[in-house]
Amino acid sequence: MRPFKYTNAKDVPSATRLLTANPGGRFLAGGTNLLDLMKEDVERPNELIDISRLGLDQIKTIATGPHKGGLSIGGLGKNTDAANHALVRQHYPLLTQAILAGASGQIRNMATNGGNLLQRTRCPYFYEVSMPCNKREPGTGCGALEGINRLHAIFGWSDKCIAVYPSDMSVALAALDAVVRVRDAAGQERTIPFGDFHRLPGDTPEKDTNLNHGELITAIELPKNNFAEKSYYLKVRDRASYAFALVSVAAALEVSNNRIDQARIAMGGVAHKPWRALQAEQMLVGKEPTEANFRLAAEAAMADAKPLEHNKYKVELGRRSIVRALQVAMDGKRS
Amino acid sequence: MEEKNKMVGMPVSRIDGILKVTGKADYSVDHPVTNVAHAMIFKSTIAAGKIRDIDTAAAEKAPGVLAVITHKNAPKLNEKGGIRGGAMLQSPVIEFYGQHIGLVVAETFEQARHAARLIKVDYEEASPRTHFEKLSKEAVTPKDKERADVKRGDVKAALANAEYKVEEVYETPMEHHHPMEPHATIAEWKGDHVTLYNSAQIVSGAQNAAASTLNLKPEQVRIVSPYLGGGFGSKGGQWANLVLTAVAAKMVNRPVQLALTRHQMFNSVGLRQRNHQKVSLAATKDGKLTALAHETTTHCAIDNEFVEPCGDCSKVMYEVPNSLISYRVVPMHIILPTYTRGPGKSTGSFALESAMDELAYKLKMDPIEFRIKNEPERDPTSGKPWSSRTTVQCLQEGAKAFGWEKRKPEPRQNQQGNYLIGYGVACGTYPAHQRPSSALVKLDRKGNEVTATVELAAADLGTGTYTILAQTAADALGLPMNRITVKIGDSDLPPAAGSVGSVGATSYANVVNDACIKITDELMAKSGKQFFTRPTAAQLMLSEKVTEFQTRADSKELEGADEYSSHSFNANFAEVRVDMYTGMVRVDRFLAVTGAGKILNPKTANSQVIGGVAWGIGMALSEESVVDPRWGNFVTRSLADYHVPSNLDIGTMEAIFIREEDKHSNRLGIKGLGEVGIVGVSAAVANAVFNATGKRIRELPITPDKLI
Ligand SMILES: Cc1cc2nc3c(=O)[nH]c(=O)nc-3n(C[C@H](O)[C@H](O)[C@H](O)COP(=O)(O)OP(=O)(O)OC[C@H]3O[C@@H](n4cnc5c(N)ncnc54)[C@H](O)[C@@H]3O)c2cc1C
Ligand code: SF4
Repeated sequence: MRPFKYTNAKDVPSATRLLTANPGGRFLAGGTNLLDLMKEDVERPNELIDISRLGLDQIKTIATGPHKGGLSIGGLGKNTDAANHALVRQHYPLLTQAILAGASGQIRNMATNGGNLLQRTRCPYFYEVSMPCNKREPGTGCGALEGINRLHAIFGWSDKCIAVYPSDMSVALAALDAVVRVRDAAGQERTIPFGDFHRLPGDTPEKDTNLNHGELITAIELPKNNFAEKSYYLKVRDRASYAFALVSVAAALEVSNNRIDQARIAMGGVAHKPWRALQAEQMLVGKEPTEANFRLAAEAAMADAKPLEHNKYKVELGRRSIVRALQVAMDGKRS
Repeated sequence: MEEKNKMVGMPVSRIDGILKVTGKADYSVDHPVTNVAHAMIFKSTIAAGKIRDIDTAAAEKAPGVLAVITHKNAPKLNEKGGIRGGAMLQSPVIEFYGQHIGLVVAETFEQARHAARLIKVDYEEASPRTHFEKLSKEAVTPKDKERADVKRGDVKAALANAEYKVEEVYETPMEHHHPMEPHATIAEWKGDHVTLYNSAQIVSGAQNAAASTLNLKPEQVRIVSPYLGGGFGSKGGQWANLVLTAVAAKMVNRPVQLALTRHQMFNSVGLRQRNHQKVSLAATKDGKLTALAHETTTHCAIDNEFVEPCGDCSKVMYEVPNSLISYRVVPMHIILPTYTRGPGKSTGSFALESAMDELAYKLKMDPIEFRIKNEPERDPTSGKPWSSRTTVQCLQEGAKAFGWEKRKPEPRQNQQGNYLIGYGVACGTYPAHQRPSSALVKLDRKGNEVTATVELAAADLGTGTYTILAQTAADALGLPMNRITVKIGDSDLPPAAGSVGSVGATSYANVVNDACIKITDELMAKSGKQFFTRPTAAQLMLSEKVTEFQTRADSKELEGADEYSSHSFNANFAEVRVDMYTGMVRVDRFLAVTGAGKILNPKTANSQVIGGVAWGIGMALSEESVVDPRWGNFVTRSLADYHVPSNLDIGTMEAIFIREEDKHSNRLGIKGLGEVGIVGVSAAVANAVFNATGKRIRELPITPDKLI
């Protein structure tokens, strides 16, 4: 890796100030993604500002404000701790399942919640510096567009970039309507609804998110909901663990009197951001939770898919995965 | 010594196990060499063409850099010295993406890696030949005589007149070995002698190839390779990294270490070739095979041919009057393929044993019964008698142990919740040979305590060579195992066969046994006495008060062994569970029944077989190296993309061994287990997937996208 300066941030204000002052710098949290990319020469920061000792790892019920009664998860807490926290397991089991479906135990012990949201694509052309890639080096072209794109997007891609965003955790967060709380060098806090946090590639695939340089993710907030009883994260992959999703589905239902009151369907492995199937969700409201209705919803969810040369299977796989995830969410039976 | 005290055949734990789990076993670059500088390879980023110019100025000035070596300043090496894939850095020509085109040597690994990135290369690009589907039409008969067409009878006519037949193409992808320990070397010169700490499956082979390539005499090169962290064929021949480390050490005049990164492993040490295999089978309606054609098309390097023998199983598995085995190969701008666990047999058996399953299904015959019906009495290709053949026994014992009778002959009949369950069977085989090896046995007596040292340049891939040799010597000398020291993995020791082609255990154990018999004979002769019962060497050392004695044995294949066709055989049974919605496959149970002659140590043998099964499951379900044909690069470039099975992918694996001793093959009756464990595994899984789902997948790996 290229030589860089290492700075240990004392507190949140100094961390944000240091990064704002240096456009070439990066925060270092768990390092499980950033350091990998530096060894590959993909990320070339001239300074690492270590934020791993700043605290911000609490998980607590939100006492006031619009999300009162919801849960706040510290941005610098570890993935393992978030997945296993009693309140998360009790009220947001979907999130627990999604986190545990990702990476490996060792990596989740290092990985932070904020870092997870900001992990970069696993597109092999992005990782290989000898290949063209607009995300890594704007203007060089997209190596995957006419290359091996079995793992790439079927929704929302542009001819500048067809990458998928790899986080499992974020798919659950999208389904749960989470909000990302961030803080800048001036001490200003703002919240970004999850749907607006990650971007589609458009003409600027180099920008994964709408986070500004220097802003620090302090917390992820989960609004209160009634999905805990009926939710499921389904991840389809090439091997049983330690592989990224071909397609994943976070499904959640609220049902009363055999009618669906609310539905959530978010997909991973299909787009540059967690992909909410809003239309399909709407279709389910007021309907009976039957396989036939799940099929109709799945059909609608995949209607706009635009597969590429090697990933046509994702359309059918997406359909089946939505049906299956909704079924398991409904009856709790995985087998 | 009485039978009950024998160590051979006992499930002894590895004697080097404690060293390994406590980190005290020194693998290649663990050796405590001082003042070591670090080298980093840099790779070509085009697949075909040549280097017009290479600018190393910035790299040379980077902190810590001691040397930058390219074709411009590398010493002239002997390109025909036996380094697989060539010595590298000898010309500006590029023949594959990722080819080594230079080496940076620096004080630290990080400095070397950083400097390597500062090198600028100006290429003259040619259009690469990397599109296998397109190029396979140009494939021709290999130059290698061993891969010439082998014909018997008239396959065409038999197929034309067949009552039942299968004619299908089976595709297997490129695969990589990826041993746990990547290839790594420390080179240390003393005058014009160099010591290379480097893991090698063939110690004397590595010595000869390094010496010849570096224009030295073999005695100027010492290979030290006491432990290997796996190899699977990739450390059979040695690759350029070995000699380049020596070159670098010479140029900077101090010891140098070079450890390939996992990413570099994709383009440095060979691979398993991609195979397009057409299998045609014909049978009468009562299930007698009448024709078998196994036609393989594959690729090799641009000016270097290697073709794994996919048709080998088809040569020996079944009685069939009309047969054709053929190969066609096309050069591509991809690194040279090489031996990879079960070379030819693991891939070839996927094709043959899938086709057998397809034909059994058409015949509405149980696939086990179908195989037994076509069991050959002699080797159908050579006409030689079998030294021993255990296929039928493997099938029958396996069927019983596995509960084969629970299998539903029709697919999709066994559903449990959202899963379809299926059973599959497939057979495998691998040739058994003993190769020339020498061994030294040294006896020492201190008072009443006799100890022995066994020395030979053998290799232990992690498979248990140390342990089985200590067991063998203990029995043959009449000593307890803890009095035996085994020294292997050093070219200063007597030359021995490699741990390759399943010859290791057979060749090593036989020569050690021979040496122990010889030393006993010599001690008896020395005593000048007559003995009514044969004493052990240990007893003789005591009774004759000898303090030190040693002898060397040089063993070759048993006389007359080549009058027999010698193979290990197995039968594989898989139970899979396929998610009806997502197409994800899990192998819940796997049973391998193996006939491999005498089993020296059931514990290490079991590990060897289930290790083969695990890779076979990976081969069936997830492993694939994918090339982008535009640029010839692998898009699978780490173990996050190249999916070896994880623990969660593997259900229960069981290995059963047929009790046999094959005394036609060698004195000890051993047949070798190195490769056979993987052979037939992927076919058993694919056949089980068919039984579960009714979908016949002829293209590995069976990933979810192929089943939905
Ligand atoms: C082999 C492997 C397999 C994996 N498999 C999966 C998988 O299946 N599913 C999955 O979801 N993930 C997977 N991961 C990815 C893993 O989840 C991420 O690497 C991890 O979550 C990143 O967290 P981190 O704290 O280590 O981030 P870092 O690497 O420290 O940081 C990542 C980025 O986020 C920035 N950053 C970090 N924290 C903050 C913050 N609080 N505010 C602002 N910016 C910040 C950093 O500057 C950096 O740019 C895998 C990773 C590996 C190595
Ligand atoms: S898909 Fe995106 S990340 Fe991948 S090569 Fe194209 S631009 Fe780069």
